[in-house]
Amino acid sequence: MDKHLHELLAGYVDGELSDDERRAFETALVTDPELRRELEEFKKLKEVTGLMTYADLPEEVWENYWQSLYRKLERGFGWIFMSLGAIILLCFGAFSALYEIYTDPGVSLWVKAGLAALIIGAIVLLVSYVRERLFAYNRERYREVNR
Amino acid sequence: MVTKKDTEMMETDISLVMNIKTGNKQALGRLVERHKKLAYQIALGLVGNKDDAYDISQEAFLRVYRSAGTYDENQPFLPWFNRIITNLCRTWLKRRSLYARRMVDVDDNAYLLVDPRNPEQELIRSETVACLCRALLELPFEDREIITLQHFRGMSYDEIASILDIPRGTVMSRLYYARKKLAKLMERNNG
Repeated sequence: MDKHLHELLAGYVDGELSDDERRAFETALVTDPELRRELEEFKKLKEVTGLMTYADLPEEVWENYWQSLYRKLERGFGWIFMSLGAIILLCFGAFSALYEIYTDPGVSLWVKAGLAALIIGAIVLLVSYVRERLFAYNRERYREVNR
Repeated sequence: MVTKKDTEMMETDISLVMNIKTGNKQALGRLVERHKKLAYQIALGLVGNKDDAYDISQEAFLRVYRSAGTYDENQPFLPWFNRIITNLCRTWLKRRSLYARRMVDVDDNAYLLVDPRNPEQELIRSETVACLCRALLELPFEDREIITLQHFRGMSYDEIASILDIPRGTVMSRLYYARKKLAKLMERNNG
């Protein structure tokens, strides 16, 4: 079937055609049995869906919608500040602990070397993971597809 | 005399987002009041679950608040907002497919109901409703999106073209193919 007729068929069922388009479609309808069958199929579908509606939420849920959203907004800020504070404290704690260990002559060289290897390993793994994620993100074929 | 209601009506979505950009939560509140049901219904049509649609609609408004800075005021608000909702729904569906157990949620088939205001409601059998619900959830995402807007939101082609940011002709052809698939799925589900 002509692609243009597909478009007209949809528009005809929904009453969205101009007078000229409607006349053109009705002319095609006379000579095309497949088009008539599809029209009936679509009308039936439209009839069934027209009798239905989305399940709504109780009225009190709508009344409290904004309050609930506002609470989430506030909590979001709470989480941001808490995370920021935790990161700052952890970094400071880690720096202080490492400083203490590396400036303490009583700590064995083996412990210092082991700790250094542990830190370097963790950094390498972190960088590798971040790089892999970035690589995958840049290569994502459908990243820009919104619809 | 200009009443408070008139002022609210004159306030466009774009001016509200511009106010949200400055951190104005009251502007967000007014935008929420205006579009909360639209957001919920679009999400419901796409994910087919009331609780999740509610959460997604709220998350969409939170994204509006956080991303207001990236909003281009020369573009209409609704297509941008719709993209936020559909992207959230996509992520949610992807996550749901990872946790397949969620697929058997008992609520999934209760997101569509026979309209109680419709005088012909008794003509529709519950099996037909369940069959339609299943068929809709089996439709590809883009098809479900356009069926949601036209059949259940009752939007005109011009409104759909605007919200999806596509030409009117594309709305018509996408509706044609979506309906073909939906009819086929319903026929198959009916056995």
